[in-house]
Formats: sequence, C-alpha cells, structure tokens
Amino acid sequence: MTLAPSTGSAVDQGSVDIAFGGVGEPGTRLLAGPEPGSGAESLIAHQARLGAWPDFEADRRALLDVLDLSGLRGRGGGSFPAAAKMAAAAGRGRPLLVVNASESEPASAKDATLVGLRPHLVLDGARILARAAGAEEVSVVLHRGNRPGLRALSHALSERARAGLDDPEMTVTLGPDRYVSGEASAVVSLLEGGEAKPRFTRRRPAALYGVHGRPTLIYNAETTAHAGLLARFGAQWFRRAGTAERPGSTLVTLAGAAARPGRVLEVMAPVSMGLLLGAAGLDQPPAALLVGGYAGAWLDGATTWDLPFSHEALGHAGASIGCGLLGILPPGACGLGETARLVTYLAGESAGQCGPCVFGLAELAAIFEALALGQASRADLRRLHRRALGIEGRGACRHPDGVVGLIQSALRVFAPDVRRHLKGRSCGATGGPIFPVPPTTGGWR
Amino acid sequence: MRVTVDPVRCEGHGICCLFFGERIDLDDWGYAAVDPAPFDDIRLARKARRAVAACPEGALAIEITAASAAPRRH
Repeated sequence: MTLAPSTGSAVDQGSVDIAFGGVGEPGTRLLAGPEPGSGAESLIAHQARLGAWPDFEADRRALLDVLDLSGLRGRGGGSFPAAAKMAAAAGRGRPLLVVNASESEPASAKDATLVGLRPHLVLDGARILARAAGAEEVSVVLHRGNRPGLRALSHALSERARAGLDDPEMTVTLGPDRYVSGEASAVVSLLEGGEAKPRFTRRRPAALYGVHGRPTLIYNAETTAHAGLLARFGAQWFRRAGTAERPGSTLVTLAGAAARPGRVLEVMAPVSMGLLLGAAGLDQPPAALLVGGYAGAWLDGATTWDLPFSHEALGHAGASIGCGLLGILPPGACGLGETARLVTYLAGESAGQCGPCVFGLAELAAIFEALALGQASRADLRRLHRRALGIEGRGACRHPDGVVGLIQSALRVFAPDVRRHLKGRSCGATGGPIFPVPPTTGGWR
Repeated sequence: MRVTVDPVRCEGHGICCLFFGERIDLDDWGYAAVDPAPFDDIRLARKARRAVAACPEGALAIEITAASAAPRRH
C-alpha cells in the first residue's frame, strides 16, 4: 500500500515514503520483513534483516540520550514519554523491566501481531531499555489466552539462549484474560504472585514503587519494539515518521465493519482517516468510529473522515489513539445498541474492588440497555448523566473513567438516535453486533 | 492538605461523612465521595483527622498538598 502522506503535516521534510502499510509491506518499520503467513521471524532472519547491535549498546548514557531525543511515547494507551518514565526510576535501586503484551482490548491485535510475528524485535527493545535503565531482569507479561504469542516468545527466547546472546534474564509471565489486568498496578500485583487486579496506589507509580517495592518500568510491547529499532537507526530516523508531538510510526487495528477485522496497519505519516479507512475497504465515511479502544471514544464518521490520523488531531476531536483501535460502525447499525453491549461487557470486567465501579458501572449498563431498547425516559437519561459524572475519578484505576468517556461520547455522537430512542421509536437499525465481546471469564491469576 | 479515600478499602460505612461532612459526601450506594479541593483551615484539618481516625477500614488519608505544607489558623 503506497500512498502519499497528507500535506501540511508536522513531519520533517522528505520524511517517509509511504503513508501506511501492513505486515511485510515495504516502507514499514515494525511490520517490515516476512509476509504474515510465514509465522514468527527467526533470530537468524531477524539479525540478517536488521543488522548487528548498535556499538554504543554498553553506553547507558548514549542509550538514554537517544531515547530522550527520539521523543518515543508509550503505546499502551497512556502515551507517556518513555524517557521520562525511565528518568523517574533512576537511582532508586535495582529496577525491573516489564514488557506489557497483555493486550486486553478485545478487538485490538497489534501487540499479538508483534509478539507473534516479530518476537525478536520486541525482545531486542526490551534488552535495550533494560540496558538503559540498568535492569538485569526482564518480564514479558501476556494474557493466558494468547497461545500463539507464548509459543513465539518461548521459541524466540530459546533461540537467543542457544545463540549465546548477552541478554538480561528474560522470563514470561501469564496473566488472566481480563480487561483490567493489563493495567500497570495490576501487572505489578501479578508479578508479585498476586491477583492481576489494579491497586489503589496514592500517587505511587510503578516506575518508582513497583514489584516488591522495586522501581518497575512497564513498557507496552509496541514501545519496546520501537526501542529495538531506534537504538539501531537513531533518534533522527525515528522522528521522520509520526508527528512532532508523538514521533514514530503507530500501529492500528481495524475493527468492526472492515474488510478484514483484526488487520493491523503501521501508520507512518499523519494520513487522512479517509485514506486509512480505505484500507479497510471503505470508500465513504462510516456512521461513526470507535477510536482508541472499547473504553475509548466515538467520533462522528463524516467529520472525522478528513482529519489526519494523528495524536493531535484525534485529541482535538475528543478522542485519543489509545491502543490504536479504529472501530468502524457501518451505516444502518445502531450506535446506542453497540455502546450498550460494550458498556455491559466493560461493567462485567470490573475487578469488583471499588464501590463506585461495581455499582456505578452496573447501573450505567442497565440504563444504557434500556435506552438502546427504547425503554428509557428522560429522567433515566438525566440519571445516566448524573451517575456518569458521579463515578468519574473514583476508582483505584481509570476503568470507570474509560466507561464514562465512552458513554459521554455516545450520547454526543448519537444524539439524534438518543431522541428517537427516548420516544420509544425504533431507530431502524438492522444487522447483528458489530464489535466482538468476549465472555467474561472467572479467575484473576 | 486534602483527604483522599482508597476506593478498594472503602466499604461504605459512612462514618467519615458524619465527622467531615464539609468535604466528604456519600454517593447513592453509600461510598465516600471526597471533595478533592485542598484546604488549610485548622478547624477543617481537625475534622479531617477525626474522619481519618474513625474509618474502620483505614481507607482515608490526609495528603499534604504543595500549596499548604501545614494548616494555618485564620
């Protein structure tokens, strides 16, 4: 897929030669290399393709500099500057480096794609970041359900051991297939041998007070994969993709009414959403877009079509790139019905620890379902608004806040549908569910 | 200073609200909803300390904010 980047972007002159591409397509970075059908790239193929280690690998100061200059931000959803996290942990004792590949968003596939097809890139980055942080141990955290990921990682680790690579000690930890168990404090709890539930940390971030009190640097798998490349090719190279605010390429997963839901693309330049959605088989704006994840935000399809896919433009529109999910709601589908299903799923994924989350989300889900069925009154809608505002910021983690954001964006984007549903009239929607919702499984270990 | 509540520990006994109704409200399910606005009034500080001490779950804490390191008498 070779398309010209949209003009007027904040990218350096003459930056990248494609706007976006899929696995194995030329011009991509993280997804460059063999076709998706060929499985995990071997260590030999990986090293032949990308070359040797940077010769400054042992120079911690140089690694920190290149990380800082690159402007790399976390790709797990928070977009926190990777170098700042490392600086916070500096000088506080033996750090632990964690690769968070527990991709909890049911429709997202970017981390599974990286771990499954380019495990050595993810592990190279982990090694580089561990070196920069002075960490001697790396833990890779996966959901238990990601069997292909576990196979690819285990094989990659044995290849590296056989090749005698001078890696830090690397282990894989499996966590429960729960939505909130990839959250930083839940990962810390899992690595301590506890339940993978978020903790209330009173401004004690994992980078400072993590696993057994050790500074714990948790980076998303895409973040470490970027580190594996930028240590080789440099900060200037890295900044040629992306935008000034959020440099580097970005992985997105297409979901919903896409030609191939679950397809992962690497966005090199802030291409327009319309062109990007063209890769999903769309030639006209969808009814709406679900951006950033299930606890992300709805955006109106028509007004979003001409926006660039960038941190800045999406932020301005009230969304965030989040985990890179681009969910497509087709014309004729009911956005309120979809939202009701998502809210019910997310409410069921509460860790059950905080009252406002347990009771608040259950009530939000019940009201939203009534609304979707055309059985809610104006008083119910007012209660929905009041309850949503009432639980915001009151959980140990941001799970309730994410659900509140989803609901508020739905009420905004689907306002005409809300009016129809309040009158008890059908919105005329046809067809089955658009976004997949996995069953809630028990167990937190 | 301000009061913070650990929402995992809070079981909705509601005692804090009796001691420090100025800044702690109970939500519709009885859980403590704390006003995060900082205060430096010594009378409020005394009430806040009572509320913290009274919580049977140890869910409340006083957080010293940058604006006021110590409570002032007005």
